[in-house]
Amino acid sequence: MSSNEPAVSLDRATGTSATNGPRMMRGAKLVALYVLAIAVALALSALLIAVTGGPWRKVFTALIDGSIRKPGRWGDTLAESAPLLIVALGAIVSTRAGLVNIGQEGQLAVGAATATYVATQGSGPFVLVLALLAGVVGGAVWAGIAALLRYWRKVPEVITTLLLVFIASQGTGYLLTRTFLLLDDDPNKPNRVQTSAQLDADTRIGFIRIFGNAFPWSVVLAVVLAVLVSVLLSRSTWGFRLTVLGRNPRTAQRIGVPVVLAGASALMLSGAFAGLAGATMLAAGTANFRYTPGFANNVGWEGLLVALVARNRPLACIPVALVFGALRTGSGFLAATGVERSIVDVVRSLLVLALLVPPAVAAIQRRRVSPPPAPVSTDEPVVAVAR
Amino acid sequence: MIASAASAVGDVLSSEAMYQSAMRFAIVLAFAAVGEWIAERAGTLNISIEAMMIGGAYSSAVAWGAFDNVPLALLIGVLMGVVVSLVQAHLSHQLSIDQFVVGLTLNLFVLGLALFLDSRWEAVTSVVKPTKVPLLHDLPLVGEALFGQPWPMYLIVPVVPMAWWLVFRTRWGLEVRSVGDNPQSADVSGIHVNRRRREAIMVAGGCAGLGGGVLVLGQISIAGYEGGHVGLKGIIAIAAVIFGGWTLRGTLIGCVLFGYFFALQQTLPVLGYRINAQLAASLPYIVALLVTAVFATRTRQPRALAQPFVRGLT
Amino acid sequence: MEGAGAVALAPAVRLTGVTKRYGPVVACAGVDLELLPGEVHGILGENGAGKSTLMKILIGLVQPDEGTVELGGREVVIHDPQTAAELGIGMVHQHLSLVEALTVWENVLLGDASKFDRSAARRQVMETAEHYGLEIDPDRRVGELSAGLRQRVELIKCLRRDPKILILDEPTSVLTPAESEQLFTTLRDVVAAEQRAVALVSHKLAEILHATDRITIMRQGRVAERSRTVEATAPALAKAMVGRDVSLRTNAAAFGAIDLIDQGDPADQAVRAERDEAEAAVVAADRAARPVVLSIDRARLMRDGVTLLDDLSIEVRAGEIVGVAGVEGNGQRELGDLLSSLVTLDGGSVSVNGTTARTGRAGCMADLGIGVIPEDRHDSGCVLDMSVAENLVLDRIGSTARMGLIDRKRMRARAVELMREFDIQAAGPDAPFGSLSGGNQQRVVLARELGHRPTVLVAAQPTRGLDVGAIEYMSNRLRAAAESGIAVLLISTELEEILALSSRIVVLSRGRVIGELDRREATSERLGLLLGGVGIDESTGASA
Repeated sequence: MSSNEPAVSLDRATGTSATNGPRMMRGAKLVALYVLAIAVALALSALLIAVTGGPWRKVFTALIDGSIRKPGRWGDTLAESAPLLIVALGAIVSTRAGLVNIGQEGQLAVGAATATYVATQGSGPFVLVLALLAGVVGGAVWAGIAALLRYWRKVPEVITTLLLVFIASQGTGYLLTRTFLLLDDDPNKPNRVQTSAQLDADTRIGFIRIFGNAFPWSVVLAVVLAVLVSVLLSRSTWGFRLTVLGRNPRTAQRIGVPVVLAGASALMLSGAFAGLAGATMLAAGTANFRYTPGFANNVGWEGLLVALVARNRPLACIPVALVFGALRTGSGFLAATGVERSIVDVVRSLLVLALLVPPAVAAIQRRRVSPPPAPVSTDEPVVAVAR
Repeated sequence: MIASAASAVGDVLSSEAMYQSAMRFAIVLAFAAVGEWIAERAGTLNISIEAMMIGGAYSSAVAWGAFDNVPLALLIGVLMGVVVSLVQAHLSHQLSIDQFVVGLTLNLFVLGLALFLDSRWEAVTSVVKPTKVPLLHDLPLVGEALFGQPWPMYLIVPVVPMAWWLVFRTRWGLEVRSVGDNPQSADVSGIHVNRRRREAIMVAGGCAGLGGGVLVLGQISIAGYEGGHVGLKGIIAIAAVIFGGWTLRGTLIGCVLFGYFFALQQTLPVLGYRINAQLAASLPYIVALLVTAVFATRTRQPRALAQPFVRGLT
Repeated sequence: MEGAGAVALAPAVRLTGVTKRYGPVVACAGVDLELLPGEVHGILGENGAGKSTLMKILIGLVQPDEGTVELGGREVVIHDPQTAAELGIGMVHQHLSLVEALTVWENVLLGDASKFDRSAARRQVMETAEHYGLEIDPDRRVGELSAGLRQRVELIKCLRRDPKILILDEPTSVLTPAESEQLFTTLRDVVAAEQRAVALVSHKLAEILHATDRITIMRQGRVAERSRTVEATAPALAKAMVGRDVSLRTNAAAFGAIDLIDQGDPADQAVRAERDEAEAAVVAADRAARPVVLSIDRARLMRDGVTLLDDLSIEVRAGEIVGVAGVEGNGQRELGDLLSSLVTLDGGSVSVNGTTARTGRAGCMADLGIGVIPEDRHDSGCVLDMSVAENLVLDRIGSTARMGLIDRKRMRARAVELMREFDIQAAGPDAPFGSLSGGNQQRVVLARELGHRPTVLVAAQPTRGLDVGAIEYMSNRLRAAAESGIAVLLISTELEEILALSSRIVVLSRGRVIGELDRREATSERLGLLLGGVGIDESTGASA
């Protein structure tokens, strides 16, 4: 990939041999590309560990031990995967509407914080439900700020959602400095660290115990949501109209999809999912049933990556979320190898980068063999990020 | 209450340290923002400017620790910024992968990588001594800010006019502006659209890498490099470009404005004002959000911003 | 010296056996072509005949699979437009190659390899402009110029590079008749005085006959016929172009041939006049009796301080076709957008059968029963990466659903029904819309918009980019729609199309109706004058 080559050179380099090639060949090629990409990403990770003097074999063994092999670990992996999956589903909704929401990390934090506030006001299953709803609202409102700026002031949502991540993490940190907000006012609290009060035992999400593993009911909730989102996006009129909006907003406006209303609600729905993920994390004991600084702990970012790798298909998110959840639990076992936990961040993003390439290459090949597009009578771009 | 607020404003406005700190932040932002401005003029909303900055900051810090040579460290920072930009450019403008997807992943990747490598090769975060321009730096209030900065900060002085000259006074710049505004027309005119866009991203990478290096080596009052974080300064640089309405002058004004609020967070406690640390830290981001919202619609953005170009597709 | 006589001259460019395939589609099949210096060479063909691909090969935008290109007897490979420019090939593109945000001189400079020097460039622009009588202000931003002036910039951009070969792709589509005439005068000059070779690509018989020395006719990717212009006749050209005998009269819109008929054989003219008279009498008597369906009343639209629609009032009665004529960029697009619910008016109103629309609300016009065939179907008429079936039910998705869930079977059944009725050629209802040919895409849009019996049908440039068969089909459908009682508003920049279909014609200029004619009173000359008034106005607006 020399920088001096024109964009078309890729097309030219592959020549005409693939023209009209059977579809199966192309499918097989794609699979091979995927395998190759994953292998390259893993090899690069191993190399990285090796050059920094780490035992790369042990690292991979530890990851597997920590995620599934050791007793009780796969339950933890399921528990870690659930919020990733919920965040990813939300990301898919906004992407479907043609919006780029990359602020899930902040929406999750705000959702968790509002859920904490509600959950610590009382106790019992009813409060739990209210707390989860509060998480939904919190995340939606936080994304709603970006929606407002997008449609009222035309600021690209890419930037606002990102800025709101930072504001959310600092802002929820501030909530933990005031007892009338979130700070635990129990004088006997364990340490001086700013944390919220703990959720009462009956305000927590129940656990399913099976084969010596335990995972919260939110795992089931996440899977149900995945199925629901999948059906609604592919089968419902709502999903259809959202798709039209995402692919051609002007056509959507003409056929009666209110662009602003539908777009803003999709963005807010996307935030609502992230907020819900935060609330379930809180009530499933991610941080010992308390809200703490740094609560989101990259779950928002990673959930977003899940959606990217799953190429915005809700059901495909399930296995991807499991893999990403496994990386999270597996990283807990890295201490013994003496390699920094953050190697997992590198492995994950390398995997994501590598997985972006095969479908892109396939798309270029497809484009090359297809006939020229029908004449178009305008030079105007159809969609702009902000006009 | 009002009186105390007024006196706080007075104190801040008469504080030499405040100006110095604000200028320093503004300059660091400006390196990245100038690069981002060029990338956006070519049609890429380049969110991996953050990754390019982190790459530059980390590698500069390590290189300085290893070689104890400031120019060399800065050069390595620039190179690392370009390396990151090469990945962005080729994935988004050769393989046509969504630029935001690439940018986001790259941000997380480079941040993770810097954090990981930092555990092995710790980045040094001491600073270059300020260069005091004789006489001028004794000017009241702004003397230290303008004429008493560490020398790498002054690299912004050639960088800004060079960027302007590049964009408005060279054929390359003309072509960059054309691919950002109407890539279809540029293409039939014989411009390599994606090649120009890739080059613009690389320029952005170089500028951001330099900005990262200057951040690490030139910040005096805080350790600019906190375990790999440049604290989303790249994103603030993007906000500055939007705020500035895709003009160079407006972008620089945005940098000064945001730099001021970064400085406020540091200077207020020094001046004896108690302000909640979290709120102070989020101040620049809130301001960035507000001012881009206020100014965004009044300005003219490149018409093809964030739109991929594939020949034959409109 | 007239080029037609200079047979002995070596060709400036010679294409031999040029072939280009896109998958199974053959765009050019073994085409031979010679362009002689000092000649205007007309390249005539329908849309999709391969003439555009051929020109793109010459300009380096497309690489041929087979065949050779020779320039001045030397074989060359043209990788890209820059190579083409270096070899002395310049092209005036149909959808211009200008960047709106840049100034005239910057645009002229764009894409060549000369030194970047502002004052030299400005001087050159002014010199070139003066030399060819194409007056222009080099410091104006191109975005501020009218379509006619933009094409002037495009021409200057080409000529400044002193091309040996100049290609013009459908150059008159954005020009008034007067501007077209001026363009041809310039071309004559370029050819006769400077011995350049000019290729004029067009689908309009009249201008090919009027402005060329030699004609190559393409059909289905092959050369169908070659002739000297002096020996050519309109019916023969039309036949060669379409491959069968066609009536110029019924296909006037496709061939740009109204003028030919007007000047043509007196018998035909008499018949025509007689028929028109009879038709018009019936229509006129009928019209008064019919109710006004669509009423646009003093519509006013401003954007960034520019008035786009200026107290625009149009009424359309049931069963009539009202043609909106005008040079491109005079409010047609905004009128189409208005009726597509895409813009909010700053004043005035739109009503259908007395019900006033809340302009700008999503779907407001569709709710009133206004169907639209948009000017650019890719812009607001379809979703490219959805299936044909989905595109056919786009606005009626609710009717194929139960309890909010889409019934795919029902959707497909409805789609198949429409595909049959409108003769849409596709692999099936699930084929991606983007895989269809332009004509079939347009039929999908037409089928959807007519499928649920609209009260009003707006057709904006409905035949642009279609071949003769498709144009004929579209014209018949529009006539049938009107006959069935639908009020039809036809917005077109092709005078011939307007004249061939409309019963009443309004002329649009700068977002304003500047004239209204009954079909009986309208001749292409009269319309041309109305439009031309605008053109003259604007050309003086270009200060040096």
